[in-house]
This record gives sequence, structure tokens and C-alpha cells, in this order.
Amino acid sequence: MNAPTVAPPPAPERPLPAPTRESQPHWDGMREGRFLLQHCSACGKVRHYPRPVCPHCFSMASEFKEATQGGAIHTWTVCHHPFNFFFKASAPYIVALVDMDAGVRVNAPLRGVNEADLKIGKRVRLGFEPVNKEVTLPFFVSD
Amino acid sequence: MAHPLREAAAISGIGETAYTRGTSKSALALQLEASLAAIADAGLSPRDIDGVVPYFPGGGIAEDFIASLGLPDLKLSLFVPVGGATCVAAIQSAAMAVATGVCNHVLIAVGRTGYSGARVSTRLQQFPQFALAAEFEAPIGMFAPAQLYAQGARRHMELYGTTTRQFAEVAVVTRQHAILNGNVVMNKPLTVEEHHASRMISDPFRLFDCSLESDGGAAIIISRADRARDLKKPLVTIMGVAEGHPESPASIAQRPDLLEFGLVKSAPRAYEMAGVGPKDIDVAEIYDCFTFTVIRQLEILGFCKTGEGGPFIMDGRIGLGGDLPINTHGGLLSQGHVVGLNHAIELTRQLRGEAGRAQVKDAEVGLVTGYGDMGDGSIAILRRAA
Repeated sequence: MNAPTVAPPPAPERPLPAPTRESQPHWDGMREGRFLLQHCSACGKVRHYPRPVCPHCFSMASEFKEATQGGAIHTWTVCHHPFNFFFKASAPYIVALVDMDAGVRVNAPLRGVNEADLKIGKRVRLGFEPVNKEVTLPFFVSD
Repeated sequence: MAHPLREAAAISGIGETAYTRGTSKSALALQLEASLAAIADAGLSPRDIDGVVPYFPGGGIAEDFIASLGLPDLKLSLFVPVGGATCVAAIQSAAMAVATGVCNHVLIAVGRTGYSGARVSTRLQQFPQFALAAEFEAPIGMFAPAQLYAQGARRHMELYGTTTRQFAEVAVVTRQHAILNGNVVMNKPLTVEEHHASRMISDPFRLFDCSLESDGGAAIIISRADRARDLKKPLVTIMGVAEGHPESPASIAQRPDLLEFGLVKSAPRAYEMAGVGPKDIDVAEIYDCFTFTVIRQLEILGFCKTGEGGPFIMDGRIGLGGDLPINTHGGLLSQGHVVGLNHAIELTRQLRGEAGRAQVKDAEVGLVTGYGDMGDGSIAILRRAA
């Protein structure tokens, strides 16, 4: 009699963004390797993450414009415990919160930098990593 | 003129289940068990409850309370969905309800299977408050509060020189207090060395900087002050209470100042309503989802200046017998995680003189905070009435 076979557990899946009607243009831009940010059509102010109304002038009209990819580290963490097992293989990984020159913040993995070299104000640059046909995610490298 | 809510309401009953890791009971059962204990503590009948604020999500909803307790005429069913700020913010809502005569006795209740059920740290992404973090941050590997809050802690360390030794002080003192309480998950002493040797979760947070995932229930009853005076236990009134919401409440990453929590707005309002200041506080129960969160809240509360929270908590100041004893029950770090309702319960116990071995001598005025989701902040200032 054969021993019952046990299927291996499914590989953990990467959590993926579920774009909303507001954020879809941003994710479309990421897929094309362009960092698109939402600007108010009335007062011109930038906002991130995408939202339906401008909190400054309350206009509901907005447009997405390509922004520069440089920024400076605001703070960071080094993730050791993988709260989602997809990230177990890459732990520990640095996640830098960056003050983009474009006036918003982006949180993304910082690659190729030693923990000892991290400091507030360190210059970094945004990169684009396609994870499937639809989704491209951001990361940072030292500038 | 004094604020109309000042001392208009009281905490008339408190109740808790055992705090454990592992239970066969449902979250609703734990919530009802704690509720019945609080009702008995007040000397009321379940039929007297006419307002319910269940912690949401998790546990039961008002309909469950009507059906389980046979409530004849529930007049108020309310959710206050601001995570860890919920329980203390709910005290404001309940105080409003009893002060205006809408209700007589409002029950605030938590039931949680945070250890034996779905683990809290991974479940949060399903809450609507976390939708933006789920869309923009979870895919790049930032899920849990330990990760999202770590960046603020790191910034405080870089700007002000706050140290892991200071984080450890919060963990160690809180554990000392837990051992005095007895109804706690963590009942063995913790040393600074053990804190430093515990595994890194999300730098700068180590395991012992993080609150517990545990099972348990907790409940309190808010009554109009003049009615509470005639009930079973010593009168503990609500002098001041407030909730506050930070800028960019759904994303810490986009907040202009990561270290500005909702408490920056609510604390001054609560002090003003109460007519007291930090110098008048005999004991403080501070929401301790993480050790650092305690340090920063003490700054915001005005016990010290911004940047001085680390040195402030050292040298015995926050232990029993110190200038400002905090988390005299063991908090979320060592007692159990019932979203901070255990903090309000402990403060009530301290002001009644029922805190046993953890009793702060002559405690008359105390404060309790809640800290929720991405930084919502609630506060209540309570007093032992003459």
C-alpha cells in the first residue's frame, strides 16, 4: 500500500496592490517606468496617496504628472520578522521612507546599502521592479 | 465656565476575564463574561444597561448584547472604530450619552481571541483604516504595526538620541508591575539583558518592545455621576476626556511629522476640561502597543519636552514609588492585549484603592490614553471623588 502523499504547501504569494479608481493612473505609470503623481487641476498642489478631493482647495479635478525620481531618506526600518511569509527569503530587508524631491513620501525597499551607512538625508533614487504583467513596484538605490 | 462634561459621568463598573494565550471561548463569550463581571461590580442588573459600545471589529455587536443579556430597551448602539484609541474614545461617547440623558448606563466591552484566533498582526490589513497601507506599503513588505511604527521610533532615535536601553526600561518596569497584578500573560521577571537579547522584529523594535497577542475580555460601565454615587463602588468620575486624530490618519508615511499623534490635539482639550495639568497626575496608564510609543506619549502629555522622553523614564521614575508610576497592571506589553480597556480598568482600580500590591499610595487623579491605528489618540482623566 502506498503511503498517502501530502501536497507541499502552496508557495506564499506576494501581496499586490488593488488599484482604485483614484490610484489606477499611478500604477499604470509605474508599469511604464514613470513616477506619476496626482496634482490638483485647480490649485496645482501634489498629493499622495491618490484621493478624490484636494484637501487644500476641495477641487475634485486632478491630473497625473510625471515626477523626478530623487529623494532623501526621512527614516527607515529593517524588517527581520516576515509578517507575510513571502518576504521570509528576503529578510532582513531595509525599508526606507523617502522625502521625494517631488514633495511626497515613498516607502520602498532600499537595496545595495549597508545598515551602518543609513542616515537621515542620505540621497536615494527610485527604481521600478515589474512583478507581473500589471504591477510594477518601487524600490530605492543609493544615488 | 466648566465644561458641561466635566465630572458629569463616572466609571461605575469594571470587569475582566483571565488574560491567556489560548482559550476555547469565542471572542463574544469573553466579551460577555467581562461585561457580566462589570455589571456585577457596579451592583447593577444586566437589564439596567441601555447603551452598548462593543469594540469593533471582533467580538459581538449590539444585537448580540440585546439577545444575550435580555436588554429590554437599548437606546444607543455605537462603534468607535479607531483601533487602540477606541476604548478611551468610547468613554467620551458614553459620557456624552449619559450626561445628556440619552442613556443611564453604557457598557463598553472588548472580547478578543488575538492569540487563539486569527493573529492580530496580520489581520489589521483587512481594516478599512489600513486600506492605503495595504495598497501601497504591504506589497513592498510593510504590513504590521511593528514595521509601520518602527520608522517613527527610528526617527526619534536619530533626532534626539533615544536608546534601546530606554526602550528596555519601559519593558522591564511594566513587567515588574505585571507580576504584582497576577492576572497576566507574562508573569516572570524580565531583565534589560533579556530585552536586548530578544530577537529583532523590525528595527529598532525587538520582541520585548512589542505588545502581546493574547486572548481575553474586558468591560467597563459609564454612568451619570449622580447615579454612580448610589452604586456599589467608590465614585470615580471622568474629569476630562477627548479623542484626537492626526494629519494623514490613514498613512503614517505621508504624515508631515511622523511623531505627531492624535494625542497632540486631544491631550490639551482633556486637561482643559478636567482643569488639571501634568503636575496633578498621580498615576498614568499609557497605551503601550510598543515601548517607544509610551516614551513619545509621555512627551506629548507634557510630562517632559519633545526629545526628552528617553531620559525622563529612567532611574525609577515610572515604577511604583517613582514620580510617575505608569502601567501599574502590566499593560499590553505584559498583562494582555484587550485594546487598552485594561488600562482604564486599572486606573479605576487605582483610584478606588483596589489595586492591591500595585497600589499607588494616595492616588487621587490619574490619566489613561489610547493609541490607535495610524496614530489616533484618546485620553481620559479620572478622579476619586470625595
